Amino acid sequence: MLSMVSLLFLSIPVGFLGALTGLGGASILIPILVFLGIPVKEAIACGMASIIATSSGSASSYVREKIANVRVAMFLEMFTTIGAIAGATITTLISPTLLYFFFAAFLATSFLKSKRTVSESPPSSEWPDRMSRWLNLQGSYFDEVYQRRIDYKVTHPLWGGGGMLLAGLAAGMLGIGAGAFKVTVQENILKLPPKVSSTTSNFIIGMTALAGTSVYLYSGLLNLTLMGPMAVGTTLGAVLGGRVLNKMRNRTLRMLFIFIVAFLILQMVYKGVSSL
Amino acid sequence: MSSPNRISGGIKFELAISYLLAAGVVSSLILVAAGILLFYFQFGNLAISEKKVMFLQEKNFFYFLYDLFRDGPSHGFSLWVMTLGIAVLILTPYARVLLSVLHFIREKDFKFSAITLFVLVILTLSLAAH
Repeated sequence: MLSMVSLLFLSIPVGFLGALTGLGGASILIPILVFLGIPVKEAIACGMASIIATSSGSASSYVREKIANVRVAMFLEMFTTIGAIAGATITTLISPTLLYFFFAAFLATSFLKSKRTVSESPPSSEWPDRMSRWLNLQGSYFDEVYQRRIDYKVTHPLWGGGGMLLAGLAAGMLGIGAGAFKVTVQENILKLPPKVSSTTSNFIIGMTALAGTSVYLYSGLLNLTLMGPMAVGTTLGAVLGGRVLNKMRNRTLRMLFIFIVAFLILQMVYKGVSSL
Repeated sequence: MSSPNRISGGIKFELAISYLLAAGVVSSLILVAAGILLFYFQFGNLAISEKKVMFLQEKNFFYFLYDLFRDGPSHGFSLWVMTLGIAVLILTPYARVLLSVLHFIREKDFKFSAITLFVLVILTLSLAAH
């Protein structure tokens, strides 16, 4: 049986990879916990709670380094929190077997979408629409790989909001933060540069996770002996991951992301099929 | 490294958020880690347990906080410390939205005051009114 110490030490490398890829530690850890025999709803609830720590911990350093776009994040949080509350409520009601397949299917969509964007993309500069200008969403950050400041514009915030509602729904339902999906929405609809996108999504995830956790607290799925070590371990790992993120090439991050997502899908499909 | 199109109030605000998040997460994780250590001394093992007392359950988070302090460590000090850590964790993003609302009101940025207030109301309702 898994102990709190082994879970803690397992969570550190998981949190590291979660931060680098923008997936969040929980989406990697939940399939592993399920594999180790933890009930899926409990793993989901505890994953959701530990994400508050992971996300807030690494968001803290991204905000200080001025990579994350705080205004875009706060705008999108309106949508993700509502989605997360709805999603978590659904999870408390449905059969666990469905959750394995939802988990795999959700990860699969993000995998297919991001496959198209594998390239060393020079940060784009789209023309902002009226709403983005009205909300003053544009921003800039210093990219250590290019050694210069990158200015960028933001487009289609309302469409992005719609995407975020779905992201929040999936996040609350699966206890995962849905970083992959958020990054996809932010890069493809809002046109945020990859690094801004993954750090901004990290920032939003803390709030999404709080919304989901509020439902799981009510449902009595939060196990102290599970989420305690998860929160400590994944956060330590995420802070380490945040340290190296801005020094890595977008392409490297992307390849890592694809590799991990593929692995997680296989694990959950296997679990779902064997539980039928 | 700082961008000229950002006013200094915005930069201060981002720093404040950054420190708030860091302080919340660090204090919460120290409590949780201390709780795990105390758990070992209390129960003599560190097994992941499915016992009912290990699960948090409350309809209203704010009552939950109140009970936490009113009842004290009724199920042992280690579980109480861990629960306190989780409560601080839950309060961290909540405090971040609260700080954002205050910041945008002070800056007279009414669009973002409304946006952050909306998030605050949703979260408060979900934490309190389930």
